[in-house]
Amino acid sequence: MNEKFRLRAKRNDRIAKWVITFGGMLVIFSVIFILVLIASTTLPLFKAPKAEIFAKFTLPKEPAQEILALGIDEYLETGFFVDRDGVFNFFETQQGLATDQLLAMPPDEDSELLSIEKFGRMQFGLFWNDGTLTLERVDFKPFFDAEQDNHRTILHTLKRDALFPPTSETAPEISIGRIGEEGRKTRIDLMKNGQILVQQIVVTETLFGDEEEETFSAVIDAPAQGMITALALDSQGKALYAGTEHGYLIHWSLSEPGEPELRDQVKAFSDGRSITALNLVFGDYSVAVGDAAGNLTTWFPVRIEENSAIKELKQIHTLAPHASKVLAIQPSLRDKSLLSLSQNGLLHLDHMTSQRHLLELGNHVPLTQYSFSTRSDGIIGMTEEFRAIIWKLDNPHPEVSWGTLFGKVWYEGYDQPEFVWQSSSANDDFEPKLSLTPLIYGTLKGTFYAMLFAVPLALFGAIYTSQFCRPRLRGIIKPTVEIMAAIPTVIIGFLAALWLAPIIERSLGAVFMSIVFIPVGLIIAIIIWQVLRRNEKYRGLERGYEFLAIAPVIVLSIAIATTLGPLAEDLLFNGDLKQWLFLEAGTRYDPRNCIVIAFGMGFAVIPIIFTIAEDSLSNVPPALKAASLACGASRWQTVWRVILPSASPGIFAGSMIGFGRAVGETMIVLMATGNTAIMDLSIFNGMRPLSSNIAVEIPEAPHGGTLYRTLFLSAVILFIMTFVVNTVAEVIRQRLRKKYGRF
Amino acid sequence: MSNATTLQIDDPIIEVENLDFYYGSSKALHSINLSFPRRKVTALIGPSGCGKSTLLRCFNRMNDLIDISEVQGNILLNGAEVNSSSMDVIELRRRVGMVFQKSNPFPKSIYENVIYGLRIAGVKNKAVLDETVERSLKGAALWDEVKDRLHTSALGLSGGQMQRLCIARAIAVNPEVILMDEPCSALDPKSTARVEELIGELSNDYTIIIVTHNMQQAARVSDYTAFLYEGHLVEFGLTDKMFMKPKKKQTEDYITGRFG
Repeated sequence: MNEKFRLRAKRNDRIAKWVITFGGMLVIFSVIFILVLIASTTLPLFKAPKAEIFAKFTLPKEPAQEILALGIDEYLETGFFVDRDGVFNFFETQQGLATDQLLAMPPDEDSELLSIEKFGRMQFGLFWNDGTLTLERVDFKPFFDAEQDNHRTILHTLKRDALFPPTSETAPEISIGRIGEEGRKTRIDLMKNGQILVQQIVVTETLFGDEEEETFSAVIDAPAQGMITALALDSQGKALYAGTEHGYLIHWSLSEPGEPELRDQVKAFSDGRSITALNLVFGDYSVAVGDAAGNLTTWFPVRIEENSAIKELKQIHTLAPHASKVLAIQPSLRDKSLLSLSQNGLLHLDHMTSQRHLLELGNHVPLTQYSFSTRSDGIIGMTEEFRAIIWKLDNPHPEVSWGTLFGKVWYEGYDQPEFVWQSSSANDDFEPKLSLTPLIYGTLKGTFYAMLFAVPLALFGAIYTSQFCRPRLRGIIKPTVEIMAAIPTVIIGFLAALWLAPIIERSLGAVFMSIVFIPVGLIIAIIIWQVLRRNEKYRGLERGYEFLAIAPVIVLSIAIATTLGPLAEDLLFNGDLKQWLFLEAGTRYDPRNCIVIAFGMGFAVIPIIFTIAEDSLSNVPPALKAASLACGASRWQTVWRVILPSASPGIFAGSMIGFGRAVGETMIVLMATGNTAIMDLSIFNGMRPLSSNIAVEIPEAPHGGTLYRTLFLSAVILFIMTFVVNTVAEVIRQRLRKKYGRF
Repeated sequence: MSNATTLQIDDPIIEVENLDFYYGSSKALHSINLSFPRRKVTALIGPSGCGKSTLLRCFNRMNDLIDISEVQGNILLNGAEVNSSSMDVIELRRRVGMVFQKSNPFPKSIYENVIYGLRIAGVKNKAVLDETVERSLKGAALWDEVKDRLHTSALGLSGGQMQRLCIARAIAVNPEVILMDEPCSALDPKSTARVEELIGELSNDYTIIIVTHNMQQAARVSDYTAFLYEGHLVEFGLTDKMFMKPKKKQTEDYITGRFG
């Protein structure tokens, strides 16, 4: 070899080495990059909420003015406060300069406000000193002035929704009102003697199409459980809650006009501390209770016994406690968050369902008044010195915590904490339920059943093909099975869902009979074979044609099972196995179930397991096989004692790669599982695995929203799951390889 | 050349009569007639491809593994036809053990390797197994080297030790015949010497048929030698006689290294 050639060979070696190293590194980096990419999308889910001080100024008020209520628009551009004369004083939020005023017309010229109740979206119940109650609403609307180069201003208007004239001679202690759908108006007065006056105005349509108002009045006697210290009315005016000084929580239904009905009265706190603040959480189902000790809890009615119609108020969530008495609670209008103010001027932002303590505001300066912005992403607060502070909230995912993602969560309307995945619903106040546990469970369940079907079939197939079958047949079988792997999974899913599922549903009895009859048929065939093999002519089959004898046995067994299936169903299960399962065993039969998945997904993973296992079995050195046979071992003994242990690394790797494939499989499960996110090991119902869940929901998930990020999180989990499975598989494979020597 | 077998053997253990062997359509052995003496070492020599390994594998029917093979003629083991359907191949292989060219211990412990033949025969008695291991390893002159690590992997042994382990494995089931297919071709001279020594010792108890490429080895270890050439048995006789004074020109040429 001349020097030049030698150098060139060396250079080529070096180049090849670099190219291969670069390629390998590129693969590793792209995998890591993908993981980082999807993980970075999920990270904001776990970011701590932040409140940034947006503005700080002294309120533009006259020295004599008192401030009864505060408010701010959704753009945090215009704020306002309400004084005792019913004047809404608007100001801009840069320096706090007064802009204009709107007057809520007092019932009398010299009427003054006694109190204001803030509710809903910028709605105010104004309670005047003559006993009148008016409901006012502030509307903000952006306006683009075409004449001034489309200059944007926020216009605000004040609208009166309702006016309730005085209801009694003596002035009530508290008076609150609501205007609900269909113009139904409700006024609740708490009298000094503890009585509650209920006035309901219902709009009805007469025969002639005219609208008519009808007023119903009712009196609720003072409850025996002590003086009422807090009242809360839902947005429709149909449910009234009261808290008493002795810690009782009372619930009336006002659905029937004029006939308030006592629904519930529970002693909320065993030590009888008084309830100081009440409000309904967004959605009007849970009621938030603040007490004299500073605790904040939420309650909703749950069934006390299974299947009973009676529901009882129960404490569900406990939120972070205040250091002192809770003065007021305001719900967010977007989610189940609550803003609560305590006596020492501290404002807490908590999320009910996740029980996350999101923020604490007013640490440095005690607050006396506060309000959410209309979009609940800003807060305006006021100190004793009439300084206003506006916070801008960065709190995109208050409902997400490790607990809600993986643990049991007690959602509104449920009787106990559960794992639930339900990301969307028809109504607006719906709370997305994003527990990943049922999805992980679904993934593992589907994979388990698929592997249960695929692994034995693929492994026995591989053993037969590599060790017993004629080499020529092996040359046909192996590529054929490998072609199976090339079938698009959408086609397998399609066939499983639309062709196989109805067949299995129709002949469920036959499917189960087959499970019995195929092994029985095989055993009978083996016994018959022991007789037949004495004949030299038949024994030729044992040289790699055994499958020719087995195939008719299996076909015959299935045929017998199919014939006997309906018969057995008639005799044992009153003619309908599915019905029997439902009535007697309590399992519901879904047409898209794990049997279908086992077949469909099994079909998809069999080729992988088969190919890898077959390769490793065939690659066991023939010398070992020869050694075993020469020692007098039968073919099966050789396979069992020598070939299988030697090929075990490959068999194991094949099974694990098949497992990884089944975990990540999407199309088949998407089409053939029914996608119900239930946690039930039953083979007769479906599941919703992580992979198909992503495929189903990602098109509907708003970019950057909680659902979107949660789906990315499930992608990370899927990624990690397959990564862990494959890594563990590789580690074990290396160990087995070391143990069994050179292969 | 079929009349090459001039030697008469009393009480032969294996008798080959008019053996023809085919790989598909090509004939590998041409009417071989040969008798193997009991408790002697017989060497099969000949150039590569002459059919000596094929002949060896006929004795324990290892050729059955090759699909296209076909045997005609008779092979009698103690008078019983080896290729008949009444001969259980598993039983046959237990009686006719084999040691291969490349040592092929199982990826198991030394102990498990030795008793493999007993395990597959269903022997479970621990005392019997222990006794067999000791006897076989002693018989294969390996006991002293491995007695302290019987339960470590056999793959940790040296090449020579592995081959002796394979011999121990073969004698563990007390075969009547041990077939050796070039047992020393992959070994260094020192290990070869040990194995050759061992073959001499074993011939007291077992009939040994050894295929070898190495003339000196055949001369050293065997009592009888058969020379095959292109599927024909050219000459068979006492080793000493054959190496000193071959009857056929071909044999002489081969032995003296003129071809091969």
